[in-house]
Amino acid sequence: MIQLFHVSKTYLPNYRALTDISLEVKRGEFVFLGGPSGAGKSTLLKLLFRQEEPSEGQILIDGKNVTRLPSRQVAQLRRKIGLIFQEFKLLPDLTVLDNVALAAEVIGISKKVSRAKAYQLLRELGLKERYDSKPLSLSGGEQQRVAIARALVNEPMLVLADEPTGNLDAEVAEETMRLLFKIRDKGATIVVATHDLNLINRYGTRVILLQRGALADDLKLASWQENGK
Amino acid sequence: MRIALVGFVLRRVHHNLWQLFWTHVLTCGTVAMTLFVFGAFMLVEINLTHLLKDWGEQIQLTAYLAKKLEPAALQALLKRVETLPEVERVRHISQEQAWRDFQSALGAQSSLLEGLPRDVLPASLEISLKPARHDGTVVEQLAQRLKEEKAITIVDYPQEWVEGLELIVLAVEWAKWIFGGVLFLATFFIVGSTVKLAMLARQAEVEIMQLVGASEELIQAPFVLEGMIQGVVGGAVALALLWVGYLSLKNETTSLAGFLAPLGQIQFLDWQNIALLLVIGWLLGATASVISLRRFLKTWNSSRGER
Repeated sequence: MIQLFHVSKTYLPNYRALTDISLEVKRGEFVFLGGPSGAGKSTLLKLLFRQEEPSEGQILIDGKNVTRLPSRQVAQLRRKIGLIFQEFKLLPDLTVLDNVALAAEVIGISKKVSRAKAYQLLRELGLKERYDSKPLSLSGGEQQRVAIARALVNEPMLVLADEPTGNLDAEVAEETMRLLFKIRDKGATIVVATHDLNLINRYGTRVILLQRGALADDLKLASWQENGK
Repeated sequence: MRIALVGFVLRRVHHNLWQLFWTHVLTCGTVAMTLFVFGAFMLVEINLTHLLKDWGEQIQLTAYLAKKLEPAALQALLKRVETLPEVERVRHISQEQAWRDFQSALGAQSSLLEGLPRDVLPASLEISLKPARHDGTVVEQLAQRLKEEKAITIVDYPQEWVEGLELIVLAVEWAKWIFGGVLFLATFFIVGSTVKLAMLARQAEVEIMQLVGASEELIQAPFVLEGMIQGVVGGAVALALLWVGYLSLKNETTSLAGFLAPLGQIQFLDWQNIALLLVIGWLLGATASVISLRRFLKTWNSSRGER
């Protein structure tokens, strides 16, 4: 699903955020992108959904080279990717239902169908009572579930989550992770960027460790998991 | 664009117009003021041109004849003048006729003429021009040709008046484009700034739309449509103000109406000019918003790392 070949990213004038990253994530895989703050996790995610372009190397998503897509095709790419952020990125003046439906409406699905799909998802995520509320009246966990519903409304093949539990307490964070695993079970590929070692250790799934912008080897991963460094 | 997306854009426009209602009202007002000034110049220009045309149609050349012209020579002269391409009609005023006309013009004062010989006034030809042959150059050329006739001593025509009015019309036309141009430029930036304000107010929305895969056209369409609406509404308001101004001039300023009465009624803009004003408003709104939007998005996207 995701292939990176010798990908580097340098910010002007001379800050190297990623160095020579090559990796592969298979379809249906659940992968943690771990590492301390500033390791380059968010930069790597931005390269995957093409908010930024790599300075060197090639990136293939679902077999398609996305390294230098024209802006028209970037929009097409993002329709296949569900994005989840630490700060939720919900629109405060829209209702929960409209926030979720928005993602479907902008790709040309009718308002009626978009809202029906959004409502169905909110029901599945236990938010059917809150569909008409404004996001700011919801708890952090509820807002993250709304963001997850929005990421799923277009049935993406790939879900990228950047510190999805960063603003949530432990119980709600676990609930969110369970939701992400459920989405994986339905066939999507999931990449979760986090600096939370406890979260990674709890699930025992594949971890790609970044340190100072480079892939760390298994030894460093083991050491990081052991020492929390 | 799919029907569902058209519906989406219209809903966004409706929502956004209400969100920044007073900003949009002020921008519409600015567009309206600009187009009002431009339209007022158009009105003055149209009415002066109309006036000029009216006057032009009434222009007659008077060619004064040499004394003691033989009837055969007069007939030959009349024939030559009548066959000139610019000439519609020629009327011969004999010395006797000229005397009688002068006498009746003097009315009660006609006794002043007592004692003067009845052939003191020269005979003349009153020459009317064909329609569309009234511009200054044509009249001037015709007068020169008539002067070449030996039987004609003086050719008289109101050249200065016509040329003066033509200059005024030209000045109004230039003023329209110069004032209009400056105001258009100012309005262009104001509409552009409103679009920027709208973008800033909806930055989060635009970012989310980009992240969930909305096309750039879909993201920009509501803003461009809002610019167009501002332009057209501004144009309509300007036309309404011009209409009110026109009615008060026409109905209430009797002295002005009296002054203009012999020259025909004041005219309002015709359909083409009304459409032109609305199209200018529409174009102003559309281009200002497109340019401002592209510049804003370019800066904003590059600041976020997007291309």
